[in-house]
Parts: sequence; C-alpha cells; structure tokens
Amino acid sequence: MTDATLGTHREAESARRRAVAALKQRFAQQDVALACLLFVVLIALPLAPGVQGWMASQATLVIVYVIAAQGVALLVGYTGLVTVGHGGFLAIGAYTAALLTKHFGVDMLIAILAGGVMSAIIGTLLGLIFLRLAGPFMAIGTLGFAFFIGTVVNNAKIFEGREGISLPPKNALFGHAIGDTGFYYVSVVCLALVTLFLWSLLRSSVGRALRALRDSERAAEGSGVNRWFYRTIAFAVSACITGIAGALSGLAIHFVSAEVYGDIWYSVDLLVAVVVGGSSMMMGPFIGGLFVVMVPFFFEQLVDFASILKGGVLIAVLLFAPAGIGEVLARPVRAMRARRLAAVGMPPERSLGKPMPVNR
Amino acid sequence: MFGQQVMSGLATGSLYALTAVAVVVVFRNTRTINLAQGDFSMMGAFFALILLKQFGFNYYAALGLAVLGVILLGVLVERAVMRPIADSDWLTLFTATLGVYYILHGVAGWLWGRDTKAFPVTFDPTPVKLLGAIVSEGHLINMAWAAGIGLILYIFFRYTKQGIAMRAVTDDPETARLMGIPVRFIVMLTWAMAGFLAAFAGVLIAPIIFVGPQMMDEVLVKGYVAAVFGGLYSIPGAVIGSLMIGVAENLAGGYLGSQYKTATAFAMIVALLTLRPKGLFGIQHRREV
Amino acid sequence: MPSHLRCENVTVRFGGLVACNHVNLDVEEGRIVGLIGPNGAGKTTLFNVLSRFQDAQSGELYYRDQPISRRKPHEMISIGLARTFQNINLFREQSTLDNILIGAHRRMADPFGAMYSLPYARRRERENVQHATEIAELLNLSAELDTAAKNLPYGSQKRVELARALAAQPKIILLDEPVAGCNEDETAELRSIVKRINREFGITILLVEHDMSMVMSVCDYIYVINFGANLADGTPEQIRANPEVIRAYLGEAEELDS
Repeated sequence: MTDATLGTHREAESARRRAVAALKQRFAQQDVALACLLFVVLIALPLAPGVQGWMASQATLVIVYVIAAQGVALLVGYTGLVTVGHGGFLAIGAYTAALLTKHFGVDMLIAILAGGVMSAIIGTLLGLIFLRLAGPFMAIGTLGFAFFIGTVVNNAKIFEGREGISLPPKNALFGHAIGDTGFYYVSVVCLALVTLFLWSLLRSSVGRALRALRDSERAAEGSGVNRWFYRTIAFAVSACITGIAGALSGLAIHFVSAEVYGDIWYSVDLLVAVVVGGSSMMMGPFIGGLFVVMVPFFFEQLVDFASILKGGVLIAVLLFAPAGIGEVLARPVRAMRARRLAAVGMPPERSLGKPMPVNR
Repeated sequence: MFGQQVMSGLATGSLYALTAVAVVVVFRNTRTINLAQGDFSMMGAFFALILLKQFGFNYYAALGLAVLGVILLGVLVERAVMRPIADSDWLTLFTATLGVYYILHGVAGWLWGRDTKAFPVTFDPTPVKLLGAIVSEGHLINMAWAAGIGLILYIFFRYTKQGIAMRAVTDDPETARLMGIPVRFIVMLTWAMAGFLAAFAGVLIAPIIFVGPQMMDEVLVKGYVAAVFGGLYSIPGAVIGSLMIGVAENLAGGYLGSQYKTATAFAMIVALLTLRPKGLFGIQHRREV
Repeated sequence: MPSHLRCENVTVRFGGLVACNHVNLDVEEGRIVGLIGPNGAGKTTLFNVLSRFQDAQSGELYYRDQPISRRKPHEMISIGLARTFQNINLFREQSTLDNILIGAHRRMADPFGAMYSLPYARRRERENVQHATEIAELLNLSAELDTAAKNLPYGSQKRVELARALAAQPKIILLDEPVAGCNEDETAELRSIVKRINREFGITILLVEHDMSMVMSVCDYIYVINFGANLADGTPEQIRANPEVIRAYLGEAEELDS
C-alpha cells in the first residue's frame, strides 16, 4: 500500500471503530434503561389496584431469592466454581440477623449488614478450605458445608432448632416500625444495590480477572492474576450477597427456624435457579428465582407434580437451552443487535447459546 | 457394646458401599456425579415392596425382579437423559441427574405416597456370636450380600471381556475408542451396573430404614462422602470409606448421642478434603498448575 | 551484558522420565536467545520451569541474579517476566481487547477500588485501555479489537498472545513457538515484530522454536537441547556449523533445510 492509501485506510478504520463504539454505547444505554424500567415496575407494584398486603410479603420473598441467586450466579457463572451449598449462607445471614434483632434490638439495616458480613467471613474461610479442590470435589465439599450448617442449626441450643426464633412483627428501620409493604421496598432497594455492585464488579479488572481464571487458568496466572486471591474474593462476595438475602428473608417473615434454614435443598434450588435462568446478572437470577419460587407456590397441593415438573424443566433446559432460559429469551435481541453492528462494519461476535464454562 | 457398634457399623457401611461403588463407577467412566443413585435404590425398594405386598411374590423373586427393574431404569436414564448431553461439562451432567432425582421423587410420591412404609420382610435381629461380639443375623446377611456382590464385581472387572473393556474406557476413553471398544455400549453398561448395585442397596436397606421417596437421601450423601475417600476413582477406597463411615457414625451415635450420627459423615469429609485433597487413595484431584 | 534470566543445573522428572537433565541456560539482558532441539527434547518443560509453572526437582533459577526458584507463577509478571503458550491459550470467549487488557492486569488499580468503580480505578482502566489499543496497533490488531478471540484467524491469535504478554510491560518475554503453524507471511510479520520489540523497547527475548529460518535470522545466541540436556550453545553461525547439532537433527532433516 502506498502512504496515501494507508492514510485513507487508517481513517476509514478509525471511523468504523467510532461507529461501532457509538452503537455499542447505545445498546448499553438501552440495557440500563430496561433495568431501570424493571425497577420502576417493582416499585410501582404495591400501588397497583388489587394488590394486597400479603402479596407484598410474597413478592419480597421472590426478590430475596433473586438476590441469593445473584450471589450464586457470580460464583458459578462468572467465576466457574460450582457451589451446591449456598443455602448455608442463607442460614448464616438469617440467624445472624435474627439473633441480633431478638437479643439486642438492633435496627434492621444493621441486622442485614451483619448477616452479610458474617457470611463473608465464613465464606472466606470456606474458600480457603475448598478452593484447593477440583470442580466436582469442591461441589461435594460445599454440599457437606450445607449439611453441616443444617445440623448445627438443628441442634445448637442458641438457634432454637425447629421451634425457631420469633421476631417482632414489625421491623425497625432508623427507629421507625415498617410493615410488609415498607419491607418490600427495602428489599427492592437491596436488589438495586446488589445489582449495581455486581455490574460494577463485573466490568472492572476484578471481573475480568475472574472470567480469565474461568476461561483459562494458566493464561490468567501467566498474566499475573493470583488465582487464590481472586477466587477467594469471589467466594466472599458471593457468600456476602447470599447472606444478605438470608437476613432479608428471615426479617421478612419475622421467623427463623431450622425447618427452613436447616434444609439443604435450598442450596440445590439456588443452583437450579442459576442453571435454569442462566448466569447473566439480572435476567438469569430473575427467571431462575421466579421458577424455583413459583413452582412450589402454584403447586402447593401437588408437591409430587411440582417435583416432576421441576426435574423435567431442568432436564429440558439442559438438553435444549444449556445456557439458560434467560439466554434464549435474549437471543432475538442479540441477533438484531449483531445485525445492526455488522451493518456498521463490526465482525461477528461470540456465538449464542454456550452453557456456563466450569472448571474441570 | 463397643464390638457390637463396630460390627453393626460394618454392616451398614457395607450397604453404603453399594451406593459408593456405583457412584465411583459412574463418575470415572462418564465424569458424571450421579445424584439420582439414591433414588434408583428407592425405586428398587418400592418395586420389591409392591411385588411382595400386592402380588405376594417370595423374597428372592421380588429381589430379582426389582434388580431387573432398576437395571432397566438405569439404562433408560442413560439413553433418554445422559446420552444427548454426553459431551457436556460436568455441571451439566450433574444437574441432569439432579433433574432425574426430582422426577423420581415426584413419581414415587405420586404413585405410592410420601409417607414411609414398613417393608414386609423385617430385619432379623437374632443375635449371633461372631469374633467375640454379638451381631444381628440381619447384619450378617447384609454383609454377606455385599461381599457376594463385591466378588461378582471383582470377577467382572478382572475376567470378563466387558469388564476389561470398561477398565480401558475408564483409563483412556479416546484410546479405547480407537482400539475398537464400543464406548457407548460400555457407558450403557455402566449405568446398568449402577442400577444393579442400587437395587441391592435399596432392597437390603429397606427393612432398616423403611420405604419412602426420601429414604435414600441420607445414604446417598454418605455414599458420596465414602466415594470421595477413594478420590471418586478407587473402588477399594470407596469401600473402605463406607465401612469407616458406618463404624464412625455408629460410635458417635452410641457415645455422643444419635443427633450426631449424620454430622459424623460431614465432619469426616471436611476433615478429609482439608487435610488430603487428593482423597485417601485417590489420584490427583487438586487443581493442576 | 548482565544475566537477565538464568537456570543452573535444572533437572525435571516425570515419574520415571527425565525431561530436563542438569540443564544450564543464561539469557543476557537485551538479547534475543533461542532454545532449539529435536521434538520431545524438553524445551517446553524448561520453559514451564523458567516461568514457574512447573517445579524442578533440582537446580536453581535466577532472575537478574536474584533466586526465584520458590516464586509462584502469577508473581513472575510482577518481576517483569511474561510468557506466551505453545498451544494458543487465549480467552476464547473474550474480545481481543479484553485479552490484551488481562495482560495489563498488574497495572490495574487495587481490586477493592476496582470493584466499586471508584474514580481513580476508572481512570486507571481508561489508561490501560489506551495502552492496550496502542499495543494492538503495534501488532496490526486494531481492526480486530472487538472480535472474540475464537473468531480470529490463526495468525492474529498468535499476535494477540504476544500483545497480551506485552501489555504487562515486561522486561523479558518467553515465547513458546511463536510461529508454530503459521504460513510464510504470518511468520515474516511475527519475525519483524519480535525484532522490533527487542530493538525498540529493549525487551529481552527467549524463544523456543522449530522454524530454523526464524531462529537463525532473529537470535543473537542459541542454546541446543537434546534428550533434556545441553548439547551446544553459541551464535547462529557457530550452531549452524556444529557437527553434533547437525547429527542430532538428522532425524528431522527438513527443519535444517527450511
């Protein structure tokens, strides 16, 4: 190429890159707008006609579940570490909040934060023990952890076993008592904060490091990423988020008992939620969370049918939509955006429909 | 007292071993953590229960038919669920078996109800003197069954064409395929074997823990803990692990109180994985550099 | 020139096999040093030991005369050593830009600031993106910055590997078969890039390669390994004329001719 053609080539290249970047920014703004819209809907929900107090309580539980699923999605989807034991952190968060509220009458915010912090601490310890293990072994280990927490919670006196810890019927926020609807708003705010935090985390160098470790551990280490450090951070953050969800759940129904929190199947359900919904930050946990909470809710009388349905949907998702339902729903949007980017000169990007890569 | 605890621990441990060995065999041949293993046993127990109670079959006929039934179930699961996703990562495989678990739980609850039922053939508590300790005859019978099955497995892997082929697939599936070994058939055989072991585990343990959809949940987890003792790879390791769990939990239950029985297995697994991430007998399972 | 990277008496065993047998190697600062030898001679193992991805059973490693035998793999970047991998080890689902940015990981802000997207962390991120873009331009990857790595042509992937190593601003780079599988054009391009990196930025290079024309034209000094042990070392002219080297390669005659 002559210098002249090289120059124009460079200019065209620059223009093309700018156009692509501009389009991508538009798409990012659309995503943010969609998320904001979702939150607007959530906030407006209690004000809709026909919606009653008890629905707020139910909705709170769904939201709490979504937050818990987000914690699991961070670890499983973005870091590639499979955990079947996160229910243990739900318990830790719930009991921490409950004990603080009952014995010290603390403000709700402090109880929730304490639940998160406690879970983060124990999550870090757990990471130190289990991160040495290869994938399947770590999964089994975390299941063991959930069982262990279940046993402790059922048997240690301080947790009052199946009789449970009863909490005051209204939670205290900054000194004011708030009812179910108020608590619903608190949980929506928590969801927003957690989502914002995860969004920030995943776009940062930390998120990049986690994805790198997931995709190719050797190459990541060769680039200077300390795998123990970053995976432990992922563990701690993931545990903290699920712990916060646990604290919220306990405070929401004003009752914490081993019957619920000593049951390991919540851990498994969380994993199911992430697998069925997909591991994206919002869509995945939302869809997965809705699935896991709504199925037993609608089929309360037909437990067996609910079980069969759950198993069937799970297998169907694995066979036909291994990246999760969230990904399938997003496909038309992705396809359209890919077309528009190609029109502006952007080469085709990642393929659609890959399941979560996990560490072997 | 101590001797009795140990002996009965060995007996229950040998039943756990049936589950643990099935878990190991399925995992090392297909990289699948089979969460439905316990439910295969549960279905076997229910099959036998129905045949005994409703159709009045005798024990051995019922046992035999239950074994056949669960073998078929294992093969069905392999073809319908596992084969289409055979090349996926282990999380997909694992979650698929979880799906089977949920389905079997639901089917059992729907067909037969969620309450626990007594098994028509009761556990024989006749005390027998053995090695200076007193053991129930029922325990002895179970141990004999487990030992017999162990012998069958040994002969299978050592001397039969299929067994040797299976060992080749375990070691190196690619090379085995290149050598003309029908890997898909071996995989089907693997799941059939899992069913075979599961049926015995379920029917033999039914008199002890009664029959219900969730009967094998705890046994499954203990089987997994035992399998991890063998690094999810070694059958002898899984057997020894099972026996250790059986004995340890009995002793813990006897001396510390029965609520600690379940926790024992988990304390053991956490201790094991912390101290020796390779498993007691297993091959390299730590993260590679 | 002072020693940049040195190994003394390194022995590596795998079960019964000896992959490296009392190997000595000394890379002078600012040079391009080649490591050649017939297939299976233990070159990649030695590379892994030098970059600490593998432990040696005996022997010592020195970086600028400081012992580094105990270092962890991820610490090597912080002392200035980067490496590429023989079978391209890119993050296949990530874009070229993201791949290069990982290389610059150690230059990012601390994790806690980064997690919360604090202003100073964001500023550092922008700087690193700028830096990564410049490196991409240096390696003719500007057009492919947004493409997922797995969709890139082979030659581009090789260059992304190199770009990632460069992003860390290393003082020395270990290149593991940088032109393996490349056609003539790609090889020529990589050859000139390697020379440029060395001459313009003063980065020391140690490369393992089978392509003799690349090795002979680019290296200042060459080590030959056979059966895991030192066979010979010297300038390209000396190596070319060395009868033992020629004998060792007789079974791989085509490489000498290329």
